[in-house]
Amino acid sequence: MAAYIARRIVHMVPLLLGISLVSFGVMQLAPGDFLDELRLDPVISPETIEQMRASFGLDQPAYVQYLRWLWRILHLDFGYSFSWKVPVTWLISTRLFNTLVLSISALLFAWTLAIPIGVYAATHRYSTGDKILTILAFLGISIPNFFFALLLLYVAYLTGWLPIGGMTSIDFEFLPWWEKAIDLARHLVIPTVVLGTATMALLMRQMRAQMLEVLQQDFIRTARAKGLAGAVVTWRHAVRNAINPLISIFGLELGGILSGAAVTEIVVGWPGMGQLTLDALLKKDYYLVMGILMMSSVMLIIGNLVADLLLAWSDPRIRYD
Amino acid sequence: MKGRNFAWLIVISLLLGSLAPGALGQKLTLADVPNPKVWMEGEIGRYGGTLVVGQISDPRTFNPIVTQETSSSIPLAYVFESLVTRNLDTLEIEPSLAESWSVAKDNKTWTFRLRRGVRWHDGKPFTADDVVFTWKVIFTPGVQTSARDVLTIAGKPVTVRKIDTYTVQFRTPDVFGTFLDALAGVPIVPKHKLEEAIAKGGAEFNKTWGVNTPPRELVGTGPFVMQQYIPGQRIVYLRNPNYWVVDKKGNRLPYLARFIILIVPNLEALRLKFQAKETDIHAFRPREYAEAKAGEKAGNYTVQERGPAAGTEFLVLNQNPKGIKPPKLNWFTNVKFRQAVSYAIDREAIANQVYGGRAAPQYGPVSPANKFYFNPKVRQYPRDLRRAEQLLAEAGFRKGADGVLRDPEGNPVEFVLSTNAENSERVAMGNIIRQDLAQLGMKVTFAPEAFNVLVGKLVGTFNWEAIIIGLTAGPEPTTGRNVWHSSGSLHMWNPKQEKPATDWEAEIDRIFDQAQTTIDPKKRKELYDRWQVIVSEQLPLIYLTTPLTQYGVRNTLGNVRRSPYDFGQIWNGEQVFYKQPYR
Repeated sequence: MAAYIARRIVHMVPLLLGISLVSFGVMQLAPGDFLDELRLDPVISPETIEQMRASFGLDQPAYVQYLRWLWRILHLDFGYSFSWKVPVTWLISTRLFNTLVLSISALLFAWTLAIPIGVYAATHRYSTGDKILTILAFLGISIPNFFFALLLLYVAYLTGWLPIGGMTSIDFEFLPWWEKAIDLARHLVIPTVVLGTATMALLMRQMRAQMLEVLQQDFIRTARAKGLAGAVVTWRHAVRNAINPLISIFGLELGGILSGAAVTEIVVGWPGMGQLTLDALLKKDYYLVMGILMMSSVMLIIGNLVADLLLAWSDPRIRYD
Repeated sequence: MKGRNFAWLIVISLLLGSLAPGALGQKLTLADVPNPKVWMEGEIGRYGGTLVVGQISDPRTFNPIVTQETSSSIPLAYVFESLVTRNLDTLEIEPSLAESWSVAKDNKTWTFRLRRGVRWHDGKPFTADDVVFTWKVIFTPGVQTSARDVLTIAGKPVTVRKIDTYTVQFRTPDVFGTFLDALAGVPIVPKHKLEEAIAKGGAEFNKTWGVNTPPRELVGTGPFVMQQYIPGQRIVYLRNPNYWVVDKKGNRLPYLARFIILIVPNLEALRLKFQAKETDIHAFRPREYAEAKAGEKAGNYTVQERGPAAGTEFLVLNQNPKGIKPPKLNWFTNVKFRQAVSYAIDREAIANQVYGGRAAPQYGPVSPANKFYFNPKVRQYPRDLRRAEQLLAEAGFRKGADGVLRDPEGNPVEFVLSTNAENSERVAMGNIIRQDLAQLGMKVTFAPEAFNVLVGKLVGTFNWEAIIIGLTAGPEPTTGRNVWHSSGSLHMWNPKQEKPATDWEAEIDRIFDQAQTTIDPKKRKELYDRWQVIVSEQLPLIYLTTPLTQYGVRNTLGNVRRSPYDFGQIWNGEQVFYKQPYR
């Protein structure tokens, strides 16, 4: 197992190299560069723009820019953002915690609710409860995130129960620690529900389908015949088997924890990585985009590895050499 | 008896009243600032309160010399100031850090007397050294600032020298008519805080005072001191207790104790926050006007209607032989063709459909918001299809039996219209224009594209036919020189000409060259009046409509007066106050 893990980690290097190459290449394919907005400003002279091009290194051919970037990365220097003129690592550090909080909260929300609901739906197949949950699941999958977020913001405005987006209140710094936690939690409700329901709907259906399949199997009949209680059969035996594909999904979600959900973050005003990434992409802020991409890719690859390991741990039939 | 007592009462009241500051027209003064600036407009306010407003984007830098977008320059405008400032009520230049100035007979030497007693936020005095230092920074090679371009005439920079601690003298290489307007945009930075940074060179200076700087380092002279910045969330300012401006009664401004800018990336969320009373001032879009008015009572706010916006939106046809070939080049360079297009465009439909009726037709390059320079006598183009067809006929175009318009050589009139797809208002305008021109028999293909692609075509390849786009504008038309001078890189229809391609472009060149060296604003106005008439007749840019502005202001606030030229900044923030104790 240790050898397997070591091999996977070594594979990360060429994988990251490939990802960076493709990302950089695709960004170059899009027309224009960071200075386009400035070109349309009548006050800034073309000479100033040329000077800026040179100072950002944008006048070099693409492969030179890429190699320069690679050289810096190898020294763990992520460079400076064009539009922010601060180190990329500082920029990311200001948003990292926010995205982590949101992603983990959405993950917990989705998973702790989806699994029991899925199990209930499977064990009470075709009952009214199951039908209602199915409808809600389809609704959850169909509603686009941004629309759902806007809807919830509007509901927050009408009822006054929740703050309208944002992450903290203006007097956050002056609150005692427990009120800070409550404030954060109140701001978390809308984005968590938006992000969580989309995943929850999928997971719930998946769990239900898997459970239904496992509940048909012979060993379940045997367990019941041997007199085991219904709940024990369901939870200790059926779920453990049904949950396999969901573990893979969980690992993948773990990998996506840092990519952020750009659209939801922007609508709700959550200061996370998603907003930063989208903004950097639209502005063609190369170093910032590459820095974020590299971090997300590392998380994704590690997430995949964790998924595989979790699978091996949960299912003794799976073994790696 | 009674009469005599009454008379004494009057005399004593008058005597006591005359002791009130400013009552007899005495000079108002502060202990540390002998000659504070006095806000003449507005009511006397009360101290206290926190004003919360919103903006869409995060600031990108806290270095006022290097900022290039409003999301950074507006937060900094509350902290840093210039020698002069533009009063957005009157649109006139007023003293700011400089209390007075004079210009020598050669019109090239300007002497400014600086205001004594002004202190930087860390307590150090503001002096001529800071002005000279600011100039040094702007002209250091490698510093990315637009101020350098504004202060350079024909390749030569405006220079400054220190006369004494509170006097500086500028020399302009040629007569610089709009020097004061240029100065109003140059923020003065503290020498004692930035000396070390500039010594490291221009490239390093660009990174100084980035958004990762602790706010207490951002030392300015302005009414508010930045206290905290939480990335992606908000910027918090506190009142500057040493500010050098007073109200008519001599009370030191600002009134507000705290000022917060929330960063809300989504326009809908921003509006909801205003209606939920989380923010107290909001700029509504034209088509939101009806909703805004309807919510006045429930939201306890008033909609301030401040007239037309400052910028312009227009349709431009390519007249550049490097980018477009005959027959299209022949059509677009024919003034009668352009005039016909202008007559065919249904500006009322644009105003109603795109702006909910809150827009007026525009025919010239200056918006009516510019009360001083706007020339109403430009040629008008009220919708008249018959007139359009008549002009086309005079130019030799014929509409065949199949309804297709053909030029004198028999080519059918077809071209591609574009705009930036992200701007939904321009996309709507494009659809309306396409249909309008179809009635003339022109086949217009409307193909919006990404902003970067558009810019690449406009200033790079010149490979485009017709584009709908807009320009922002300041109160001085001279700042648009790069657009209007035939040698300019933003002379969109035919940029960077070696010599003017047409007589009227040559005349516009002369107007801008002359205006730049004309100090008297009234003489500049004569020149610009002529410019606007030429543009409305020759139509290199076919103007469309100018939307109206409407701002929501909470009724608990006093002295808020927004302006189309404030670009989002609460420009008189030091005067704003809460009528009742805060919330």
